[in-house]
Amino acid sequence: MMRLALREMRRAKLRFGFLSGAVGLLVFLILFQQTLLGTLLGYFTGALENQSGEVVVYNEEARQNLSGSLVSFDQIEAIAEVEGVAEVGPLGQGTFTVVAGGEEQEAAVWGYQLDGPGEPTTLVEGRLPEADREAVASSIDAAAGFDIGDEVAVAGTDVTITVVGLASDIRFSVQPVLFVTYETWETTAEAVNPDAPLFLPSAALVHTVDGVDAVDLATLITREVDGVEALDRAAAVDSLPGVEAVSQSFALILLLAFIVVTLVVGFFFLIITVQKLPALGLLKALGQSTSSLVLSVSLQVLTVCVGGVVIGALLLVGAGQASGDSFPISADPGLIVTTGSIVVGLALLASIGSLRRVARLDATTVVGRQNLGGLE
Amino acid sequence: MPALEMTDVRKTYRSGDTEVMALDRASLTLGDDEILALVGPSGSGKTTLLSIAGGLLTPSDGSVVVGGEEISSLDAKALTRFRRDKVGFVFQSVNLVPFLTARENLLVVAEMGRRDAKESRQRADTLLDELDLGDRGGNLPNQLSGGERQRVAIGRALMNEPALVLIDEPTSALDTKLGEQVMELITNEVKSRSTAAIIVTHDTRMTHYADRSVEISDGVLAA
Repeated sequence: MMRLALREMRRAKLRFGFLSGAVGLLVFLILFQQTLLGTLLGYFTGALENQSGEVVVYNEEARQNLSGSLVSFDQIEAIAEVEGVAEVGPLGQGTFTVVAGGEEQEAAVWGYQLDGPGEPTTLVEGRLPEADREAVASSIDAAAGFDIGDEVAVAGTDVTITVVGLASDIRFSVQPVLFVTYETWETTAEAVNPDAPLFLPSAALVHTVDGVDAVDLATLITREVDGVEALDRAAAVDSLPGVEAVSQSFALILLLAFIVVTLVVGFFFLIITVQKLPALGLLKALGQSTSSLVLSVSLQVLTVCVGGVVIGALLLVGAGQASGDSFPISADPGLIVTTGSIVVGLALLASIGSLRRVARLDATTVVGRQNLGGLE
Repeated sequence: MPALEMTDVRKTYRSGDTEVMALDRASLTLGDDEILALVGPSGSGKTTLLSIAGGLLTPSDGSVVVGGEEISSLDAKALTRFRRDKVGFVFQSVNLVPFLTARENLLVVAEMGRRDAKESRQRADTLLDELDLGDRGGNLPNQLSGGERQRVAIGRALMNEPALVLIDEPTSALDTKLGEQVMELITNEVKSRSTAAIIVTHDTRMTHYADRSVEISDGVLAA
């Protein structure tokens, strides 16, 4: 039956080629949007997502927002006592105006305890900070004055931070990030706000004991330590401001794109199936089994969709090569396989109408109902 | 062994509240190399009889034996297999698969039966040569004339070496001269293979090509 299906496609290259092209464009759209979403979300959440603390502990009134959270050192000591906590450390986080590459810009400074939870996990060049006033910066901002060896001055102060390493995907709130020692963060905050009486950590970060589930530990910390709310890292990332709204907007667009793929493939195969019902009826009359006719149409759906996925993936690779450093697009094979599988699955689902028509096809259609005296 | 034995075959269908008799106690025996012309006006039951003999329809009552196989009680799957292995069809209207070449239209029958590919190709080429279509094998049906298409259909009907060839109104779309050529070709091809055939026609001028003629009227075969 494969031969029959492929022969038909060979004879109607343009028709099937157009459909594969249309599916390919839609697959590209879906892949591009997903890549875009990943990149955009990475810009919002990268620093939190790619630090080593498995559990993030906020003040219970902060509504899971770093900028509104203050955790006392007493609370950090109490967290250290919770069963399942291997190590706990403070995280100081704030946005400061800095001078980098000769220009004033906003940057998020993340202060963590050296060798404790909170260090960046995606170092691509250089090293982690080993002393105060050293920083790991987001690699994507290297050209903007955050490259290794660059000195970043905190505006209006005498604090200068030297970049000693670069890590990928560690932006935060679409801003450049500097991972520094907790003391450097404290010094920076004091220099910017000299009148402030006290500086407390924004949150606490926790390493779990081996084998302890981060979700369970977060629940335990929230229950056992007064005034805090703990979340595992993934939940903390998802609850950051803006993440849900962006994700939902993209999810809606993606849903629409998947629906369009399903409808396009479904309608196309319904139309061409109806057009070739007489030929399929003839084949059935000649002795072709129903299952092999259904298989033939399924094979065509599969071929068209796999072709479409390949076209979409190639377009994404092309877009990746054309994209600039400031907004890189990468063709993730896992994403392509997952999206491709969903598209093929939906297309097969959409072609059920066509397959049912083929399955219910009556061999007598070839002699014409009229010739059988209107026989039913 | 007769190619076809139909005994007291009835076919009824419902039209609203009434039951209409399409074929009424039809009995017919066809020798293993006999060509029969089935003649009758439109709506007389010719195509119904042909469809029952070819396993496209099951009778309401009666017995149908083709090439020694009783087919009246076969299920749809077995009937499909029977049509593939035992019968050759030339239909009146839809006859060729439009996206297959003339040669592929012959080969598709062999491929259904999973016959030896090399032998099938040789047989298809022989049939096309005999039908004077040797140089048209690579053409699609829409690149062939009406007569050529009819000849391809005849070749396809003989492709699976059937026990019985069933031909529905082979000359209805052709002029008299071309019709006679086609009838001559059919009878020559069928006779040369000692195969039995039923040719349904309403054109009495064509009946002399058959070994005998049987008339059908209102679902009743003439004695």
